[in-house]
Amino acid sequence: MSALFDVIASMLFGGTLFMIVLTANDIATENQSTYNGDMLVQEMLTSTAQLVEGEFRNMGFGVPEHQRTITYADSTAISFLCDLNRDGNIDTLKYTLGGTDELLDTQNEMDRFLKRKVNTGQIMSVGAVTTFKLRYHTRDGEVLPIPVPWDRLTEIHVVEVTMEVQNPYAPYRDAAMVKSGERNALYSSSLWQQTRLASQNSRR
Amino acid sequence: MGGRASILLVMGFAFVLGYVSMNLNKFATEAVGNMTGYFENSASHNLALAGANAGLAKFYQDTTWHSAITQSFNTNSMRGSFTAQVVNLTANKAMLRSISSYPSSAWGDLHDTVEVYFNRTSQNSFSLFAWMTNFEGNVFWIDQDTVWGRVHSNGALHVNGKPVFMQKATTVKQFDPKPGTGTNKAIFKEGYETGVATIGFPTDLSEIVSASTSGGKKYPGEIWVTLSPGTSADGDGKAYVRSTKTGPIIDSVSLSDPTFNGVILGEQNVNIQGTLDGALTVSSLKSVWIQDDVLYESNPLAGSSNDILGLVANQNVTVADNVPNKTNCVVQGAIFARSGSFLAENYNTRGLCGTLQLLGSIVQDTRGAVGTFSGSTLNSGFSKRYRFDPRLQDPAFRPPYFPGYGVKTYAITNWWESYRVPRPS
Repeated sequence: MSALFDVIASMLFGGTLFMIVLTANDIATENQSTYNGDMLVQEMLTSTAQLVEGEFRNMGFGVPEHQRTITYADSTAISFLCDLNRDGNIDTLKYTLGGTDELLDTQNEMDRFLKRKVNTGQIMSVGAVTTFKLRYHTRDGEVLPIPVPWDRLTEIHVVEVTMEVQNPYAPYRDAAMVKSGERNALYSSSLWQQTRLASQNSRR
Repeated sequence: MGGRASILLVMGFAFVLGYVSMNLNKFATEAVGNMTGYFENSASHNLALAGANAGLAKFYQDTTWHSAITQSFNTNSMRGSFTAQVVNLTANKAMLRSISSYPSSAWGDLHDTVEVYFNRTSQNSFSLFAWMTNFEGNVFWIDQDTVWGRVHSNGALHVNGKPVFMQKATTVKQFDPKPGTGTNKAIFKEGYETGVATIGFPTDLSEIVSASTSGGKKYPGEIWVTLSPGTSADGDGKAYVRSTKTGPIIDSVSLSDPTFNGVILGEQNVNIQGTLDGALTVSSLKSVWIQDDVLYESNPLAGSSNDILGLVANQNVTVADNVPNKTNCVVQGAIFARSGSFLAENYNTRGLCGTLQLLGSIVQDTRGAVGTFSGSTLNSGFSKRYRFDPRLQDPAFRPPYFPGYGVKTYAITNWWESYRVPRPS
């Protein structure tokens, strides 16, 4: 009788321990995935932000004073002139936002490529973002209409850049926990906004 | 036995959970580390910018300053240092370079560079300006005024309404009232700048006088110049010179003559009309009177043209009150009135004369009037249609011996900020 009691007690104790281990493993995996996602997202965001910020700051470098610097300005695309390599030749840089259908092999349905093109070269992806939004301000702070009309491009003094990056993969949530309108995975997200990005070359 | 197993179990759990916790902490720290890195990069960049601004302030106080300026910070809010120095690139070009040093917690010392390039051109043509005055007087820029080309005044620019400045507008003083306040709703397509250095007018026309006696033409009395385009060939225009309006031709100047330097000067009033084929500056030590349309054979707005005319007066450039100018007047050329104005004769009594179309540039001592208005209704004289000749944006393209001014300060031509290429992951 005593032996039977020991076996039952051992099973209960062992089973409880086993359940604790499983739960701890689940929580650890979820947390690790979340933290890893945060790290990945912030790495992607800072590297893309540094590139965008750096090139936008040098907009108009080497361009003669009477020549137009920004040649196209829309909410998700911009084209401008800059002597990128400082070799005396003026380059045309173009940033555009791709569609979500171009990045279907990731789990995140909102991510898309941020593309960069120099002169007639190949279009290169410089990062995957979920938001890339541009706004343009005049010297007096007026927000210009989008896309900026051709005859008002020279009025652009400040470019406001908003960028959001989410991780491409994330652990799925328990279906019972997902409310209406919510996403079914735990995507990490990081937002970067530069509200006063003014190239000094536009102030000559 | 059972007690020892329990201890082993607890130790095992502690080890596994500790390992998991350590990993989670590592990820969390690295995630924050990214943002810290971005902050440190920004701080390093801002230090370089601060150095550039400090160097600029010093350089503009003394353009002979070429030694280095160094400043270090060691406070809770800012650490690091910058060094800025001006170096001459060529006789007319200089560069200010500012290098920062920021002690990063993870990446060692971070350095950033800002380079500011200057150009010092000794002489610029006044024809670079679409509109320039020494004194604006009490005349206002109003609704429907549109200026293509650069605008500058050594005085204050008065605005009442929504004029459009298609290129940069600068003033030694200020806009009255300030842009975006009160009645000043002006649109500046390429910005504006106040408090810029004075652009001094020449004290005489000695350069033109000298040119008129060494390859040009100089006449002691009043002259009447009629421009003729010659044949349809390019550059074979002529200027016929009379001493009275209808008198005989006293001189015929061929603009294609290689020994002619393009300058005609009258010591008294000079009257002009006709169509130009070539490059010419017609000047007067008194005033220039526009008797009828003055046109280019090839309109630069319609296609390629190398015709260029300068009308330079020591006093005024005046649109005469006569029959041909009663119904519109077209002037194609760069105008310079050293001590006077560009104006219409009897502008307030001459009756309605249609439009005064100008293609070129206007530089005058005091802003002159060509008509009177009640609101937007023309009461007398001309309504204005002024257009800058875009060819004049090129400093190398100007009428022969057109007056120029010395640039007194270094102008910033380019600004370069280095930026970090993303670290390889």
